[in-house]
Amino acid sequence: MSTRAADIASPSDSSGEDSPIAKRPYPGALVVVEGIDGSGKSTQLYLLKRWLEIGGYRLHFTEWNSSPLVKSATRRGKQRRLLTSTTFSLLHAADFADRCERQIMPLLHGGYLVLADRYIYTAFARDAARGCSPHWLRNLYSFAPTPDITFYFRAPLDVAVTRIVAGRPKLKFYEAGMDLGLSLVRTESFRIFQERILNNYDQMIETDHFVLMDGTVQVNRLQKLMRQIVGERINLAQFAPKKK
Amino acid sequence: MKKNAKNPAAKGASNGDLHAPRPGDSSRFYGTPLPGVNTEELSGNLIVIEGTDGSGRSTQIALLTEWLESEGFAVQTMGLRRSALVGEDIDALLAENAVTRLTLALMYSTDFFDQLERRILPALRSGLIVLADRYIFTLIARAAVRGISRDYLHGIYEIALKPDLTFWLNVRPEVAFDREFKKSHTISYWESGRDMSLSNDLFQSFIRYQSMIKHEFEYLSRRHAFTELDGEASVSEVNKQLRKQIAAELGIRSTHYHPSHALAHLWR
Repeated sequence: MSTRAADIASPSDSSGEDSPIAKRPYPGALVVVEGIDGSGKSTQLYLLKRWLEIGGYRLHFTEWNSSPLVKSATRRGKQRRLLTSTTFSLLHAADFADRCERQIMPLLHGGYLVLADRYIYTAFARDAARGCSPHWLRNLYSFAPTPDITFYFRAPLDVAVTRIVAGRPKLKFYEAGMDLGLSLVRTESFRIFQERILNNYDQMIETDHFVLMDGTVQVNRLQKLMRQIVGERINLAQFAPKKK
Repeated sequence: MKKNAKNPAAKGASNGDLHAPRPGDSSRFYGTPLPGVNTEELSGNLIVIEGTDGSGRSTQIALLTEWLESEGFAVQTMGLRRSALVGEDIDALLAENAVTRLTLALMYSTDFFDQLERRILPALRSGLIVLADRYIFTLIARAAVRGISRDYLHGIYEIALKPDLTFWLNVRPEVAFDREFKKSHTISYWESGRDMSLSNDLFQSFIRYQSMIKHEFEYLSRRHAFTELDGEASVSEVNKQLRKQIAAELGIRSTHYHPSHALAHLWR
């Protein structure tokens, strides 16, 4: 078992020279989707997950901000509006560290294909839009394993904003970036905030090797492309159900 | 042995000059400034007392508060796990003990910055004297002995405000053990580093853990120019040393002080 694991160890995890905690190679793989709200990324990841689930692959799906450990603190911070750009960022990092150490890393070491709806790039784009230093953020998340594929779903700002605003009764305070004082009108604040995030994402396309996906393409056509790229870049056979 | 395992990681990433305080840098921060702070407005003083449990920190802070108030200075205190944002959550995590070292380190940093931004900075803007019962150094030391790289930790805390004075009440682990045992008749899970599986003998575990922390403090003391005081000296002697340095910093002429009746029991 251990020899097998070494043979198929992902090359991406060897980039741990500057890691705050010791990293070792793992047999699993990590596929991530990123993009602003309304870019269609969650829909596409869901369809990818269904395709793999139906095929019986060993996989696990994980979402940003879903750890029960720090949920009460996040809720309290948001409700009472205690959060600053720094504490907002640190609390999400603590939350992510919990998911990373107790879920993502063990699964990667256990040979799972891990699908993540949003990853550290969400923090880089969003927290920098709130005023955190990009250099500080990079260090903060340097414990996270590098994804094998990062799909970046990009939709024009107007398309994305219209999708979100039409689908929700009311934008939440932090979601709309109201803590930044960009505008007193929530939808307007949301728009300016999302524009900043979009610009920050765009700057990471090259540095972080994003696979750019056009969020305006028809859902089924885009999904076909996504499945094709996953098939090319990841040795899916290693996650396939074992035949007896 | 554990020490060696941790050092390469810390050294390997020693592009650490990036975060090291630059000579002649008058900045109030260690590196990148905390977003949204105008340091010109900070007219108060930040004084930090560091030291392990049993080093006498809280006793000294109680006495210093009384002395400073008698001299006409308004005092604000801070300590670990006291933030409105996550103080209680950390208590719960510690009790539960399912938390991993990295998450705990980041929860402590959230707690620290919540207090810094919403309590210390407003106090400093109003010209108060802030007495901090521990600061980033304890948080760095605790995480570093658990194998998290020092450069990573310094990177997180580079946006913290530099104290005007940092005192380290240095005591030997054996003395800290005696004092802690006398106070609470037991040794706490975390203060003896039991999460690190150092020894099943709790006395040994405590001594080894506190020795590792002390080693980190020796490094931090050099790096950040602490004023090191002999925490094993009498309360009145340590207090005298503290008053002398603080008086010089704040321009207080007389360092004369004798505790009031309410605090007399601390004076031994």
